[in-house]
Amino acid sequence: MILNEQETRDLLAGYGIPMNESRAACGAAEAAGEARHIGFPVAVKALSRKIVHKSDLGLVELNIYNPGDAARAARRILARARDIDPEAGLIIEAMAPQGTEVIVGAKRDPQFGPTILFGLGGIFVEVFRDISVRVAPVDRTMAMDMIDDVKGYAILKGARGRKGVDLEALADILVCTSRLMMEQERVLELDINPVMAYEKGAMAVDARALIRD
Amino acid sequence: MSDNPLKSLLKPGSIAVIGASRDPAKWGYKVLHNIVRNPYKGKVYPVNPLAPDVEGLKCHASVGDVPGDVELAIIIVPSPAVLQVIDECGAKKVKALCVITAGFSETGPEGAALEERLKGKAAAYGMRMLGPNTMGFLNNSIGLNASIVPEMPPKGEISFITQSGALGLSLVDWAIGSHLGMNCVVSTGNKADVSEADLLEYFEEDKDTRTISMYIEGLKDGRRFMEAAKKVKKAKLAIKAGMSQAGARAAASHTGSLAGADAVYEAAFRQCGVVRVEGVEEMFDAAMALSTQPPAKGNRVAILSNGGGAAIMASDACERRGLKVPELRRHTKAGIARLLPVFASVKNPIDTVAKSDHDIYRDALQALIDDTGIDCVMVIYAHGGFTSAEEPARAVIDALKENYPKPVVACWMGGREVSDVARMFRRNRVPFYPTPERAAEALSALIRHHDLGKGGPR
Repeated sequence: MILNEQETRDLLAGYGIPMNESRAACGAAEAAGEARHIGFPVAVKALSRKIVHKSDLGLVELNIYNPGDAARAARRILARARDIDPEAGLIIEAMAPQGTEVIVGAKRDPQFGPTILFGLGGIFVEVFRDISVRVAPVDRTMAMDMIDDVKGYAILKGARGRKGVDLEALADILVCTSRLMMEQERVLELDINPVMAYEKGAMAVDARALIRD
Repeated sequence: MSDNPLKSLLKPGSIAVIGASRDPAKWGYKVLHNIVRNPYKGKVYPVNPLAPDVEGLKCHASVGDVPGDVELAIIIVPSPAVLQVIDECGAKKVKALCVITAGFSETGPEGAALEERLKGKAAAYGMRMLGPNTMGFLNNSIGLNASIVPEMPPKGEISFITQSGALGLSLVDWAIGSHLGMNCVVSTGNKADVSEADLLEYFEEDKDTRTISMYIEGLKDGRRFMEAAKKVKKAKLAIKAGMSQAGARAAASHTGSLAGADAVYEAAFRQCGVVRVEGVEEMFDAAMALSTQPPAKGNRVAILSNGGGAAIMASDACERRGLKVPELRRHTKAGIARLLPVFASVKNPIDTVAKSDHDIYRDALQALIDDTGIDCVMVIYAHGGFTSAEEPARAVIDALKENYPKPVVACWMGGREVSDVARMFRRNRVPFYPTPERAAEALSALIRHHDLGKGGPR
């Protein structure tokens, strides 16, 4: 069974993984209210256990600056999402500033048990499959080593005048993810994608988990 | 060593071959024949109710009728008869089983159920079991060939654990052909009880094994394997076959499809200090270096060659594998320059311009070993036919007679005349290769093993 984004966020929060603020909503008015509560700009996304590729289906709207736009986006996304999943809802999130996107993942392997994955986000993971993997538990040294292992390490470290990102913060997320997988037997697969990495700090912006039925 | 539970299996004092046969086409004949005609000193008892004797040994109707103790029972009876034989072995207080009989989990659910019962029975009697569906094992240290492999490989310090029986067979043949010494070869079969992890623990304690090589298709318990491997200080090499992405494609998440089985094995091997190699040739090339050479403390290679072409190929091969071929110390260069004609190159790689006299090779190699900026040495001889391939080989052997602190590998390029040299090198524990690429790959494995061992790259 797939957990929806809010459920996955609750799971991650329990292990101290930093995330942008978010609130669930059922309708347009509620969405606008939650958006005002969080503070603009916000993102509005469909919340569903069935829908996997939200962006591909036009079920995500970013950079919304006022309650009216939030309500409009909510109405549109909800109508479209309910065609696919009648139980679909909404999630309103604070817009995370653009950082360097990375992916943190985990998977329960039939032979080795929990394994942890790290990779550079976007095109690096899609096209180049630039990832590193370890069998959990992953400690801090191992986590730093995992980050060091990807071919795009220079990008994270900072290259050609570009400032690097907070590697320690990324290592923390890897260690927390490892702990989650070691303790939560029911979690089979976990995608935290993307994690935004900044000069200082890092945070999860979207996440999904597959759990045992 | 006496405490290791697998000692009764791999170093038994007495053996019963249950299902021994007089028909040379049958495995029951082959296994007994292989035990009897090799130097194994323990007691051997053929068991077969229908034959009076096999291979000149009196046959017993059942294992219970054997007059003395039986430490190991090798079972080659049809699968429906196996369970009863296990009961008889239990009653006889046999210590270990090697079940060559096939027709278990490899055949389907019915066979798997039979295997479960077999496993349960063996465990209840406290007998460790290799197989079922194994091709047996051989142990050179006690001259025992308890397998269907027709010929023993030369004695050596490499022990090989193989999940594929047929591969084990062909490999022993290959080892004989390429003068590669081996200590044990164990075909694991279906691994109902004894697994790679148990064997790793055994070989860590086994004084006759220096390097452990493995051919793995799939582990049953990856975590147990990692725990065992982490404790093993000896060099460990593995071929992991079956990189299929079929399982990964069906995954529900990004991570599921990215962290496919192969990526996980890759990570697991690294984390527990197993050097992964691609194929059989690479594995045994590496094993030869690991079981004979001191550790490589770094990746700086010096190359000594009698020809420029081979020297350049060797440098390329090293650099492509992340090894360095650095400048030599001034003192080293001066020492080597004195040995060579003025027009020879004393830059690394060293080209002796066709000189391969004994003293030149010996002294130059010694100078390279003494260079504090160098971690390993590759000595190359390209055979042109106008010099002796043996002379520089003897020089290498002479230079390595005494204790030396750095690994040295030899690369002798050529055909017929070089194969005599190969035998010489093997006897003197010098790893040798027919091409610079293979020599470089072996050096790379030495360095990776050292890095993994000291907990460097993980």
